Amino acid sequence: MDMVTAAKVFSDIGWGLFHYIIFYPPVYQFIIIPGLVAALVVVVFMIWFERKAAARVQMRYGPLEISPRTGGAPQLIADLIRYTVQELIIPSAADFFAFIVAPNAMLILSLLPMVAVPMTSISEYWPIPMGYSLLIAVALSTLAPIFTVVMAWASNNKFSVLGGVRESFIIVAYELIAVISLLSVVPLLHTFNLVDIVNYQMSGIWLGLLNPIALLDLFIAILMSTSGFPFEIPDSETELVAGPFTEYSGLIYGINMGGGYIRRWAFSVLMTLVFLGGWAPYRPGPGILLGYFVPSLIVVVKATIVMAIMSFLRAVYGRYRLDQALSLAWEVLIPLAFAAFGISVAEAFFGVHP
Amino acid sequence: MSEGSASGVPHLPGMEVRPVERNVYEVQIGPSHPGSGHMRIIVELDGDVMVRVDPDIGFVHRTMEKLAEGRGWIKNIPLFERMAILDACNTTLPYVEAVEKLLDIEPPERAKYLRALLCEINRIASHLYGIGIFAVFLGHSTIYMWAFGDREVFVQLAEDLTGARLTHSYPVFGGVRRDIPDDFPQNARKAVRYMRYRLDEYAKIYLNNPNIRKRLEGVGVISKTKAAELGIVGPNARASGIKYDVRLVEPYEAYPELDFEIPVFEEGDSLARAWQRVEEIKQSLNIIEQAVDWLEKHPREGFMHDKFWKTAPKLYKDVYEGNIPYAGKYRVKLMPLFATLKVPPGKAAARVEAGRGEIFYYVESDGKEVPYRVRVITPSFRNVIAFKYVMPGHRLMDLPAIYGSFDYFPPEWDR
Amino acid sequence: MGGGVREVPATAEELQKSLLEALKDYKPQVEPVKGYIDIVVPVEHLVEAAVKLKELGFDHVISVGAVDYIAKKQFKVMYHVTSYLNEDLSKFMVSLSTYISRDNPHCPSLTRVWLSAELQERETYEMFGITFDGHPDLRLLLLTPVVAALKPLRKDFVVKEESDNIETDYEAFESSKWW
Repeated sequence: MDMVTAAKVFSDIGWGLFHYIIFYPPVYQFIIIPGLVAALVVVVFMIWFERKAAARVQMRYGPLEISPRTGGAPQLIADLIRYTVQELIIPSAADFFAFIVAPNAMLILSLLPMVAVPMTSISEYWPIPMGYSLLIAVALSTLAPIFTVVMAWASNNKFSVLGGVRESFIIVAYELIAVISLLSVVPLLHTFNLVDIVNYQMSGIWLGLLNPIALLDLFIAILMSTSGFPFEIPDSETELVAGPFTEYSGLIYGINMGGGYIRRWAFSVLMTLVFLGGWAPYRPGPGILLGYFVPSLIVVVKATIVMAIMSFLRAVYGRYRLDQALSLAWEVLIPLAFAAFGISVAEAFFGVHP
Repeated sequence: MSEGSASGVPHLPGMEVRPVERNVYEVQIGPSHPGSGHMRIIVELDGDVMVRVDPDIGFVHRTMEKLAEGRGWIKNIPLFERMAILDACNTTLPYVEAVEKLLDIEPPERAKYLRALLCEINRIASHLYGIGIFAVFLGHSTIYMWAFGDREVFVQLAEDLTGARLTHSYPVFGGVRRDIPDDFPQNARKAVRYMRYRLDEYAKIYLNNPNIRKRLEGVGVISKTKAAELGIVGPNARASGIKYDVRLVEPYEAYPELDFEIPVFEEGDSLARAWQRVEEIKQSLNIIEQAVDWLEKHPREGFMHDKFWKTAPKLYKDVYEGNIPYAGKYRVKLMPLFATLKVPPGKAAARVEAGRGEIFYYVESDGKEVPYRVRVITPSFRNVIAFKYVMPGHRLMDLPAIYGSFDYFPPEWDR
Repeated sequence: MGGGVREVPATAEELQKSLLEALKDYKPQVEPVKGYIDIVVPVEHLVEAAVKLKELGFDHVISVGAVDYIAKKQFKVMYHVTSYLNEDLSKFMVSLSTYISRDNPHCPSLTRVWLSAELQERETYEMFGITFDGHPDLRLLLLTPVVAALKPLRKDFVVKEESDNIETDYEAFESSKWW
């Protein structure tokens, strides 16, 4: 009698844990997939992949010593441990509150768009049921970069200020391109709802094929506005020590360096859902696993492939000069983004539908 | 020197105070900077455009001219080698030539070819170093890794020849220190073939990369007359249209008999300087092939002048012939006469084309065991003036694109 | 270009003769050296001789150096020049030298004639203490002010050597311990 009650209590607790805590949509979206846990796992994998892929192009091995059989994968864990136990040095002339708060705010705000992004088409698994999820996700993604400028100002260092000014120039130009490219699908499909956008792509033709200019523009905009070598102009090591991140050490430095990758992850998820089909061609079945877990995994895999392509470009390109990058944005890419918008309108006019 | 009229500023010994104009943002690309090396550049910016650039050098000054006055003649060769350890043979060769002029001896033919061979190997290693460092300043880390990996091939070739990877100390008065080993010619030919193939890959990914071309074209243009007025040397001058190479105008060692060309570019911008170094590597590969062919064909007689070789004890000659089994072949120690060499009084000067340009020595002796005065002017020191007169008017992000293209090397310019 | 080098000099002796001919107003003398041509002029004619050499085609300075003859109480300042743009003169190095006195050494600066001499005159100024009158920006280049005040490359500056045995005072060290 007691054993049966104990087993039932445990299974009840397990079911409750499963349904109301882990797979509870707001918690699952923001913390597990595609939120904090998925972002960190993908970022760790992506840093390892970047180092290995770049090393193979450059005729060397990359991280290898730490465990030759797994190809040096625990190297990243070792680096993370090093960052957590390193001493935090805060310069006495820096603005203390802004210095400490800005990187953390950047990390949280980079992940904030994940709150509005649905991972499946079954309505009970949406975090916040809304009909304007694309618009809200795009708007939330523009909140984070101001904190880089706050970091630059709070560091009280000439190189940081130069880096912060460059960051503000670049962000204004390239985020505009990203926003226009992401929103250019709206005239074609007459909806802001990400679930409807993915459902339209279930028939096999992804929106990236219908509007390749918008896809290309978005790819370039993500590369330039999320600070990855060698496209990080605010952060360029050989001219400005580390730009806005110069005075940081220890765990906050780790957050800064990883924060760029997390912002790139958020944009990659949005790009996957809008242009690369989301969880198509899989139709979510009933039940929590088939209906929630599997589609989200498919989205994670696709977004990881997009990030891997961006990491591979590290081995091929050099760094652009600031005014060349800005003239590229304002003279070439923004007209292209408007052209993508026009292509969408034209396709809607002629009745081309996925 | 320091002005004492700045109000309210405390004056400590060694402190320099200078007034700065308004509306100018001063940035010091200083010694502890990941993109600077051992030098400081004080840049005054107006917005993003550089208004005044002042090179503040002297961080690696090792007082070599004063040290040379207190050491014996042969001991100065490893001293002067440390100025630019990358092309060690080129850096000490003018000193050896000047002292040979004072001693009035001339090295044998085989020694001249051996010196020219090592000079070219060092020139290639030095150019690859310059290409790699320049690429990483622009953010292109692939060429950095490739250039340093390929440089390893030539450093190992130099180790086969002289016994040391970087600190060769190979030319001595009257000849060289050793002869080539038996398997050297085939290693050298393999290295030359490999490098020719690699240079094509460099052109594909780096020099013809539209990203890099946009960054380097039209940046840091030095016209021909301006280059002659500033006195810029080496590949930087040849990329501005001046056809001047010491191997051509005043040939030394085996260069009168070797057949090579001097590439010259007309544009004078950073891209031309990058191409100039790649073309010079190709010419150096030709020279290495010719020198190795000559050395293989001719019999091994005399890599050292008779005046010194006849003072060597019998053991040296046995080791050279290979009669002592454990000691290898063609390896000798330094002649004992060098330790107490007294050079007759006189003044002499010599110049040689190093990897970075023309290096010049003036040696004066008054008959003692130590020199009276040695004056050395290195090519990087003569290029420092270009920082001051070429950079203003460019943007801040052009600063590494310009000084990387000059192939600067602070230990060489500080001596 | 004007000047006295009419025919192309093929050897160093011909060049030496034509240079002596061109500079004859400035009382030149030749010193026997190996590897270059050395012409000594008095210090008051230095700038004019330099202008004359520049007209002949020698357009940049290789080296500005000084030698300290402490026994004769003189400095010898040498300007080695050669030519880039004139191909016949590129093969030769010519040194324009002058002797100045060791106490209160002053020498006119040749920066207005040859711009390439600017940084090297600064180096000679700090190493020997020779003041170049008319230099646009005469300050220290390689050394710090404390070291440059010692005028390091002069022959009477001898670096003190330390012996291998360093004397220590054990009692003073013991009494200075506070733990």
